[in-house]
Parts: sequence; structure tokens; C-alpha cells
Amino acid sequence: MEIWRVNLRSGSLQRGPVPEAWARLGGRGLLARILLDEVPPACEPLGPGNRLVFSPGLLVGHMLSSCDRISIGGKSPLTRGIKEANAGGTTGLQMACMGIRALILEDQTPWARERQTDWRVLHLSLAGARFDPAGDLAGLGVFAAAERLRKRYGDQVAISLIGPGGEMRLASAGIQNLDKDRVPSRIAARGGLGAVMGAKGLKAVVFDAAGSAKPPIADPAAFNAARKAYTRNVLEHSQSALYRDFGTAAMALMTNALGALPTRAFSSGQFEDAEALSGEHLREVMLARGGTSTPTHACMPGCTIRCSNNYGDAEGNSLVTPLEYETIGLMGSNLGIAELDVVARLNWEANDLGLDSIDLGAALGVAAEAGLLAFGDGVRALELLGEIRRGTPLGLILGHGAAVAGRVLGVARVPVVKGQAMSAYEPRAIKGTGVTFATSPQGADHTAGNTVRAKVDHLDPKVQAALSRTAQINMAGYDTLGACIFAGSGFSVAPEVIPALLNARYGWQVGPDILQLLGRETLSLEREFNRRAGFTSVDDRMPEWMTREPLPPNGSVFDVDDADLDGVFDW
Amino acid sequence: MRVHLHTSLRRPGPAGPLRQLEAELPASSTLADLLWLLELSPSPPGLLLVVNGRSADLSQALAEGDEVHLMPALSGG
Repeated sequence: MEIWRVNLRSGSLQRGPVPEAWARLGGRGLLARILLDEVPPACEPLGPGNRLVFSPGLLVGHMLSSCDRISIGGKSPLTRGIKEANAGGTTGLQMACMGIRALILEDQTPWARERQTDWRVLHLSLAGARFDPAGDLAGLGVFAAAERLRKRYGDQVAISLIGPGGEMRLASAGIQNLDKDRVPSRIAARGGLGAVMGAKGLKAVVFDAAGSAKPPIADPAAFNAARKAYTRNVLEHSQSALYRDFGTAAMALMTNALGALPTRAFSSGQFEDAEALSGEHLREVMLARGGTSTPTHACMPGCTIRCSNNYGDAEGNSLVTPLEYETIGLMGSNLGIAELDVVARLNWEANDLGLDSIDLGAALGVAAEAGLLAFGDGVRALELLGEIRRGTPLGLILGHGAAVAGRVLGVARVPVVKGQAMSAYEPRAIKGTGVTFATSPQGADHTAGNTVRAKVDHLDPKVQAALSRTAQINMAGYDTLGACIFAGSGFSVAPEVIPALLNARYGWQVGPDILQLLGRETLSLEREFNRRAGFTSVDDRMPEWMTREPLPPNGSVFDVDDADLDGVFDW
Repeated sequence: MRVHLHTSLRRPGPAGPLRQLEAELPASSTLADLLWLLELSPSPPGLLLVVNGRSADLSQALAEGDEVHLMPALSGG
């Protein structure tokens, strides 16, 4: 494997071996190492000092079920700390086939500027790097832009691209990747990395693996044996069947039952119309509608869980793929909207703009608090997304996410930590996930360590820090492997498969605690970057209003001790 | 009491899948008794039990008017 380094100002590509200090990392862990080694922590995220880094995880490249994720990172314009966002799709697999352990984009292109129209595509292949003109893509939504790119470069390449949100350098902009059906819906959504890419002057990066071979495996027989055991464990795990049939949307009634479904700008943990947003209802609607609708869909080649879906309208035309729980929570119940068709249209608009539906949904909730939107008014919510597309002042405010929206609109009840919006787990009712929201170096993010599945009293503040610690370590480990959060079901029943796969792939001799070692190392590196960027324990706190405003129906507040929050990373 | 059957626990009903039912149990019954009544595994490893919005275990006593959720566990979204 190699490190590919493109200096965007000079246009030069350097290919070199992976330095020894980076050799046993991939994905999120490698991003943390590279960013700490190369990016001045105090730099301006949209300036030339920041770097945009793509890295497939350590297990990527072998179509191992749910293990081909791509991690993208840089200093975040949203949190102003370290950022890793990962996605499914085909980018990770293509990069691994090209032998790229990490792609580092340095500096900015000479044509990068505010209100830029002279966009380019960075094309990478075994022949090298080149910049292709892409001025015709300026202002185009993600779906139209991806269609043109597919026609230009063919269907064998992987593409990472930004939408109008990234072009406008909005702090909630993500980077989208093609799924296995070539739909650009796999978004590395969180933390504004799309704005970083826009500020570097790139509309898209194309990865063309033509002429490359599959990544080498040191011990193919041992790898295949471990793969077989892992695949069997994934297939047999009861949770895999739930995700296949109901998708992540099955979470809606679960959080609603626990009083943890964000409702009307995080003012309640239960939504009276949760049933209409449930995974159970979603499945029935999709099966009844037919056409393009399907409740079972794989985002990555080789995935056996297939938690994704394709949600179509009554005429059988696709409205959005996928429709996920987090969007249902933030753009549905959080806005008092009970119609899946409306949530799907909002979701498609967010995707086409290239924006994080979580931060955008939270920003719309803030707009509702400010009187710009009545709860339940989907038509008005769509109008507000139109403001973003037109780049109006109000649209720009919302597109920068919930934290900026709250500051500008004078709303104090804003559900963010480190400037990043909370996902659809009310931290006053699932307090372990709340600890993760408060303390993760990534800002509020359930994928950094969700505890909702634990068999504990989620309202008891005393047991949550330990739960969050374990979950954060494991997730940082999985993100370093390139494993989907749901691959954990297969790994958790037979953890020995992880070292078996790594040792067979690389010829290493890692032990049974490798997942935890990778997780701890990753978190330590990320926290060190943030410390150098000026973060302190003050940044590891829940918004104050959540510590004093009781949440219906349980009447709970976030009351985990500060000392517990400060001790999460003491291992 | 009302029992909510999440995801894979739904049952065939005359008008489509049945996801809620009313259950009557003798006084001082527990969640374990409810699982027995519903012919579910007595100690299902991946089942989350919630009574009136709070996580509960099999020994939890049930009372008239309780809202019980039986939820095959999911780990994220």
C-alpha cells in the first residue's frame, strides 16, 4: 500500500511507501495520525494549511461484508477540531484496489476562491493525477453532477463529490460517494468536510482503478477461514435480520418507547405520531408501493446485512435512497412532521445540496423555535431548503448548521456539542449516548459510541460514563478497520476473528485486544489534536439547557457528573 | 396492560401484522410471566424490556395500565 500525496497548488502527485509510524493504521485512526503529524491544529479549516485526507480502513478491499468503508477527514469548519466522517459505497474498495492507504490533498488549487465558478475534477489513476475542467458542474446538485461525471468517466470508477453546499463552503456540507448501484447517496456527512473540499477548489475526485489488482493477502487460506466464520456470524445474528427487514428506521419506536425520540426541537422524547415514522410502517409502505421501493438494499458490494432501502412514491418512482432513522428523527419528529413522503423529499433535497441531514434537521428545528417554520409544516421546511439552494442570507445561515442558526436567530436551545448537532437519541433519556455526545473528540455523534442497546437504566447517571467509554473505544476501532457499525454484530460474538483477519491480511501478529488498542490509540490522537487546537474540558459538556430543562415524558435532565465526563478517557 | 411488539415480534392479525395487544395477568405477575403468556423465550438475549418508558428486567412486577414494550435490540441507526 502507498500514500498518495497531491499538492493542489502545484498539481504534483507523489506516491510513496507508508511510513513506519503509520503502517498499522487505516481509516479513522490513520486520519488522526496524519492530521496530528501534518496539520497545524490552529489552522483555518478553509485555508491552505488544512488537509483533506481519504483513507480506507485496514480491512477494506476484500468485499468482506460491511467492511469496505471510506474515512474522510480534516480539520472541521463546523467543530474547529479534528474530523473523521465515514461512508459506505465504493470509494474505499476502489482506493484499496489502487493500493492507496491514504490520499492526502495539500494546500489549495490556484483557482480556489469564494463564489468560485471554475471548478475542476481531480482524476486519479495508476497513470497519475490530472485536473479536468468541470466548470459545467458549477452549482449543479449532487445527482445531476454525478450523472454527468458517470457519463464522462464511465461506470467502473469511484467518485467522491460535493454539491452546492460544499461549493458555498457551508459548515454542514458533506462529501458524497457512489453506492454499488452508482447512486451518489453515501455521504461522509458530518462536520463540514464538503466545505473543506470546496475551499480546495475541487468539485469531485475520481478514482479509476483500471489496471490494478486486488490488494494482496499474506495468508489467503487463513483469511478465507476467518472470512467464513465472520460472514456466518453476521448472517446468523438476529440483529442482521432486523436491519435487513426494517432498516435503521426500526429505531424510531425503540427510542420513542424510551422517551428518547427528539421531538419538536428536542422539547419532548415522545412523538404522538411515531407510528407513522416507524420502520415497521416504512416497510409496509415500501412493500405495498412496489416499483423501485425496496426495504432491503446493500450500499456496498458484498454486504450481507443490506440495511439500506429505496423509498419510492405511490407511483413507484424513487424519492430517496436510503431513508434512515437519523433523518427520520431530525427531519421528521424533530420538526413535528409525521409523513414519510415529506421526510423523504426533505432528505433528497439535503442529499442533492450535499448537506448533512442531521445538522440540517437540527437547524430547521432551531428555525422553528425562532418562528420561521411551524412544526409540522413540511411545505415551509422545503421552502427553507430552497433558500439554501438559492444562497440567500437565511439559506446560508441554516446551511451552516444548528449552532450558527441558533446564534444568528437568537435561539438558546440548540442541541449541539462542539458546534455539531446531536443525532436522534435524546441525551437526557439515553444518557450513555449523551456522554458520548459530550466527550467525543468528533462532537455530538451517535456513531462515535451509542449505548441505546445496553440493558441498563438509561436514566441512571452513575453507570453511563463506563458504558460510553467502552462504546467509544470499540467504535474508534471499527472505524479504523473500515467496518460498518453493524459489522459489530458479527465481530462481537467472535472477537478473535478481528486479529485473525488482520494477521492473515498483513502477516502481523496482533493479539486479541487489537480492536481496543486501535480504538484507544485513535481517541488519544484525536484528543491530542483537539488539545493543541485549544479544546479543554469545557468543550466536553452538554448544552447547559439540557442540564436544567426536564424532558417529557420522563422528566429527566442530563445529570452525569462533570467528573465522570472528564474521566471517560482515563484508561 | 398494553403490550407493544416491536419489529420481528409482530404477529399475524386479521387486518395485517399485529403489533399491539392487551394482556391481562394475575396480580403480582412479572415480565417473565408476560413472556411465558406470549410464548416467547424465557430469557431472550437480544430482547430489551421497557415498562412505562424505563428499562426493566424479567423480575419487574407489572400492574394494570402498564405500557410494556418488547424490543429486539438494535445498536444504532
